[in-house]
Amino acid sequence: MGIATLPDIQRWKGLGSSMGEILRVQNLSFRYPEAAKFAVRDFELTIKGGEIVILAGPSGCGKSTLLRAVNGLIPHMYTGEYLGSVSVGDHKVSEARMSELAQTVGLLFQNPENQIFMFSVERDIAFGLENLAVPPDEMRTRVDEAMRQLGITDLAQRAPHELSDGQKQRVALAGVIVMRPRLIILDEPTSLLDPKTAVELVELVRRLRDETGITFLIVEHRLELLVRIADRLVVMSEGRKVLDGGPEEVLADERAAAYGISIPPISRLRNQLKRDGLPLENGFGPDDLAEELNREALGR
Amino acid sequence: MIEFRDVTFVHQTGKTALRDVNLKVEKAEMLAVVGENGAGKTTLVKHVNGLLKPTKGTVLVDGEDTTKKSTAELSRKVGIAFQNPDHQLFSESVEAETAFALKNFGFSRELMDQRLNWALQFFGLEEYRNSSPLALSGGEKKRLTLACILAWDPEVVILDEPTVGQDAIQKEKLSGIIKMLRSTGKTTIIVSHDIEFIWPLQPRLVVMSQGRVVADGPADTLMRDEELLEGARVMQPQLVELYQRLRRRPDSPFASVNDARLWITGPVVR
Amino acid sequence: MYWVAGGFIFRRVNSPFHSLDPRVKLLVSAELFVVSLTAYSVTQLAVVMAVMLSIAAVSKILKRVGRTLIFSAGFSVFIFVINLLASHSLLTSAVYSVRFLAIIISTSLFFITTSPDELEQVMKSAHLPRDVVFAFTTAVRFIPVLMLDAIQIVDAQKSRGLEVEKGNLIRRVRKMVPVLIPLVVNSVIRSGELAEAMESRAYGAVSKPTSLHSYSSTKRDKLVAAGSLILFIITVYIYVRFPTPL
Repeated sequence: MGIATLPDIQRWKGLGSSMGEILRVQNLSFRYPEAAKFAVRDFELTIKGGEIVILAGPSGCGKSTLLRAVNGLIPHMYTGEYLGSVSVGDHKVSEARMSELAQTVGLLFQNPENQIFMFSVERDIAFGLENLAVPPDEMRTRVDEAMRQLGITDLAQRAPHELSDGQKQRVALAGVIVMRPRLIILDEPTSLLDPKTAVELVELVRRLRDETGITFLIVEHRLELLVRIADRLVVMSEGRKVLDGGPEEVLADERAAAYGISIPPISRLRNQLKRDGLPLENGFGPDDLAEELNREALGR
Repeated sequence: MIEFRDVTFVHQTGKTALRDVNLKVEKAEMLAVVGENGAGKTTLVKHVNGLLKPTKGTVLVDGEDTTKKSTAELSRKVGIAFQNPDHQLFSESVEAETAFALKNFGFSRELMDQRLNWALQFFGLEEYRNSSPLALSGGEKKRLTLACILAWDPEVVILDEPTVGQDAIQKEKLSGIIKMLRSTGKTTIIVSHDIEFIWPLQPRLVVMSQGRVVADGPADTLMRDEELLEGARVMQPQLVELYQRLRRRPDSPFASVNDARLWITGPVVR
Repeated sequence: MYWVAGGFIFRRVNSPFHSLDPRVKLLVSAELFVVSLTAYSVTQLAVVMAVMLSIAAVSKILKRVGRTLIFSAGFSVFIFVINLLASHSLLTSAVYSVRFLAIIISTSLFFITTSPDELEQVMKSAHLPRDVVFAFTTAVRFIPVLMLDAIQIVDAQKSRGLEVEKGNLIRRVRKMVPVLIPLVVNSVIRSGELAEAMESRAYGAVSKPTSLHSYSSTKRDKLVAAGSLILFIITVYIYVRFPTPL
């Protein structure tokens, strides 16, 4: 897996990280036509450039709706009762055009199969750029760069049905990255992957953030895989934001489980040990906890 | 109850999906099949109700060769719930959906009503009896597919990736259902890569990799075999990993794993 | 079902014919189509068939053409029987049924050797609207996906006791309902997700999108195009000038 260190990326890097706030959701409420309830209610969320934020919550809590409101599908494709405002970068989502938003915020959907249109990997990655009428020379450079970043250069000529699930996911992500967005939304990216492949994806996300400064907003059930790389964990319930903070802090909050969040076993154990009076610090993996328990044992 | 004897399966595309599989599942046993995507897990279970017939070798269900039976006949004994509910829901109401298989199997009107009522009640779907299955939430759809199968009371229940796309609350419900299946003496096979879901159930574990069964034994034992899991690209449950890290150093606190609990100088947490 | 799919889905092969400009392939295929359609003697058909099979051999697709032929054999026999009943001539009937096979081969030569990407290129150069071209390529792209959906649906329903093969025609048609409804539902879900993904990747932002690949005709393409045109004209001339009996 080659890591790109082109000057081009250097230039691109920092776009996100240096510019402070990248997403601001202000008092957003949205109701689909003919729906009885608001899918998202009085939602407030600010994300800084370069952050990795996880959005968790039980099925039907309004996560999908929120994502669509951030990338502009709401209100541009789905109309309904829309209150409040969403701004991404310099754009106000409800006023910007979808083509402008596509270059600012990218959305990777749950099933990569349904977002690969073209018959070869490189053509598919180029899809968004073709739509924006980017000149072929520049397009070539950017497609190659995206493939290098995701380690899929050798798949360039493959057809979608010749790819594994993990590879499809990377191809779909490359199609988003190639647009050079400042914010990328991942909608349950690991749900169709086996755990090892999922871990590889998680590592890839961390690396992309470190290299390019892109901000990530990730919806995910499988917290045990993702909390390690997250800067923040936001919990949603019945359309509202109910918890927001550092992942360790949120996972230690007794309300989290009640909201239907699956607390990873290690975090559960950590919480229990803390309640039993062990002075533990913060961490997520079995490795961190083992280390700390050893230290405790030796100290005593 | 189920026996695979030197089973090899080659797809029409020429790809070998199972290689020399030998496996015996006793009545009332609970088996979990793990392995990375493409390891052959789903191909394996499709042999149990005859959707696939071995290229080489024999599959026996209740002592009978599956090549001599139709899928419909075998399904009466073996119920498989596949991963995606949208691949099977089609009726105008939840009730009709549940009745579909019972009609196919020729249940009498009375027995059908009785089984239907039981299934809808048990899976908490009574209130949706007359709603369209397509209007249900993801978790409810999943439970409906299970209700559809448990309604005809098969001896063997196979769940293919039951936790995919399910949230914590749904997973807990599923876990409860699986425990109930075990307590009522059903032979249960769970295909899943959700190791944190599987491990607390303490099943007999079958690890597959590239079409082969590479290990078969109690979950607690196999989950400690790092080399095995690494080779099959299976994750280790977090608590088992912690246990092993603690065991690696002699001066660590005393830790032991038993019955899906981690003990650190006393029981701590599941 | 895999078998059927295998006969129609494009597979990348390196051959002198595959690497031609798709428009040239279309031209050659169209010429062969006309020549097959207008052939009226056994000799002519034999020559046309021999030419097409040599192209197939050069393209390393003989096997797949063979499969397509087997697939259309049933209809060819049907044509033979109908003609035999009408004309009472074995020879005429044979010419008609072989001509049908020749037409099939001429079209499949194009479709088997042309990727959907190239097909898109051909459609674009014919100045078809972008939406039409995109709808077409997406349809082709999703054939294997929908096929897989269908297989999974049939498996799920068979596991619930559905016996697709049993009963008379009407009952069999009714038994397709549990398969067709989920298939339609899944396609609707897929197309919804596709629409969202298209929208999110700026589809329709400009009226004249660019293309990553540009197909320019090489010298070889021009040579093949010109050569095939000359041969085509000569063949038509022979057909007209020297009418031979059956």
